[in-house]
Amino acid sequence: MFKMFSGLKASAAALAVGAALVVSGAAEAAKVRVAFGDIASVESLHLLAAFERAKEQGVDIEVTYLKSEDIAAQAVVGGQADIGVGGPYALVQKVKAPIRMFLQLSTLRFYPAVNAQFYKTWKDLDGQEIAVHSRGSGTEAIMKLMEDRQGIKFSKISYIPGSEVRTGALLQGNVKATIVDSAGRRLLETQAPGKFVILPLEGVSATDEALFANTAFLEKNAADVDKIVEAIITTWREVTANPAVVTDLRAKYKLLPDLPAAQVAEIVPYFQELAQGKAFPLNGGGAAAAKDDFAFYTLSGQLTGDPASLKVEDFWDTRSLDRALAKLGTK
Amino acid sequence: MMAPTQVDGPVRAVHPPVEGGFSLRQYPAFWRMASLALFFLAWEIAGRVPISYAFPTFSATFAAFLSMLFDGSLFAAYGETLQPLIIGIAISGVIGIVLGIVMGLSRSAEWLVAPLFIVLQAAPMAALIPLITFVYGIGLVAKTLAVIMLALPVIVLNGYKAVRNANPSLVAMCRSFQGTKLQQIAKIIIPDASPVIFAGLRLGLAAGFIGVILAELLITPTGIGDLITYHRSVANYAEMYAAVVSIILVSTLTLAALEAFEMRVLRPEKRRG
Repeated sequence: MFKMFSGLKASAAALAVGAALVVSGAAEAAKVRVAFGDIASVESLHLLAAFERAKEQGVDIEVTYLKSEDIAAQAVVGGQADIGVGGPYALVQKVKAPIRMFLQLSTLRFYPAVNAQFYKTWKDLDGQEIAVHSRGSGTEAIMKLMEDRQGIKFSKISYIPGSEVRTGALLQGNVKATIVDSAGRRLLETQAPGKFVILPLEGVSATDEALFANTAFLEKNAADVDKIVEAIITTWREVTANPAVVTDLRAKYKLLPDLPAAQVAEIVPYFQELAQGKAFPLNGGGAAAAKDDFAFYTLSGQLTGDPASLKVEDFWDTRSLDRALAKLGTK
Repeated sequence: MMAPTQVDGPVRAVHPPVEGGFSLRQYPAFWRMASLALFFLAWEIAGRVPISYAFPTFSATFAAFLSMLFDGSLFAAYGETLQPLIIGIAISGVIGIVLGIVMGLSRSAEWLVAPLFIVLQAAPMAALIPLITFVYGIGLVAKTLAVIMLALPVIVLNGYKAVRNANPSLVAMCRSFQGTKLQQIAKIIIPDASPVIFAGLRLGLAAGFIGVILAELLITPTGIGDLITYHRSVANYAEMYAAVVSIILVSTLTLAALEAFEMRVLRPEKRRG
């Protein structure tokens, strides 16, 4: 009797160990590795918070920070990461990499800024030199688009990577016309009010960052992807309704605890400005965003061919987004 | 140090002569081409497998290379890349040789300066180059400085060792002929040291190529660095590889030309050997 009991105990133990192994194996397989193309900063707080929410829904997310978007895209193509952050249109078109975007995170938000001493309007930039981020970048495409629309011609486009570097150059007077991000714009307005003019920019809409993954991963992990997409759309809508919520989310999930005080003070103004500018895609982009991107990125040189001939399904997998929107409704 | 092995002349002198057949001695050019052809074949196969979506075939890379050559973008890029390289090498050459000679002649100069260059030579420069931008910004000065940081230590240390190891019997001879100190330096030590100093210049140029590319990739993309970054960002991988290969080609050809010049002018005795 005793013997039988001990036998039972042993087999129960074996069963428990086995079950634990299976569970841990499943957990291992379900780990979603996300590759950022940049270090975490104030600008990614809302995304990090959304990932925390997805984690609460049972998605095991591991975030790594790589040096550039290109490298993040290569990591996804090579299978070292599951989900990347960026806009890999060129990679999909030119080398037929089996990756698809599935959620738009942000649209390009840049502000053409000029020294008011020399220029006041777009027309004043005719025949003048401007500075943008790099060749083939979104900032260059925006400036070229405006060149076309305004019927002007820049004498030279020089390349200065880093919006903060261009902002500094503008403040120091090394550059008279350039294009900066919202942090740069705010810096210009606080450091030298009235000294710089922000030129109007209308009708420019293109993806700055999106989430993308291997097609095989999207097939196999649809449930996880759905949860991530839902978490992000919910968070985006919340932040748009009340930008100050980012501070609460940061406190709740202990995100970027080492942020210096000066940057902590930037959080609310940053998200307020983006929320006012409707910079957070409330419906996750999808086919409409893809169409805008085709027009924009063919101009910038990332994509080639006639924008009308490009197919959304070659670049996007909208199934998760469609399911999320069916559940959450569109805004 | 790499210098002494390089100074000993071409590698073929080390091989024993092979008798008859398709020997290395008779057809060195053939075997060199065969080695390259084999490498390109392996590349083509690896590109066709493909080992990665971002890895182009050799033929695609070669086609991209030709198209970049004919549309002038390669020439324009080299026009930009060579600027900091030439300025940096010229400065490093002058300062490096003077410092090297002074250090070779004077123990106190050696103690004062040598440790700095030995440390610089051992330092991982790729980590230091971004720091240059904090002080010198992102312009030509920063890039030239990157070239100097890589090239100068090699040139200085080679010059110093060459002068320090000048043939003592020649120096003794000069003294026994009542040569002045100046004559000893100008007529005996420097001529005797010149082959190794020149080898240092050659190695300095090789390091300068590394410096200028690092600067163009890490500071601001201009010239070849711009071609590499731009084509990578728009996923033109064949063009990106072609740009990388072109810089290898240019630096190899420059160094080979310099070596040929060195053989002809400075060490005619090696040519015969």
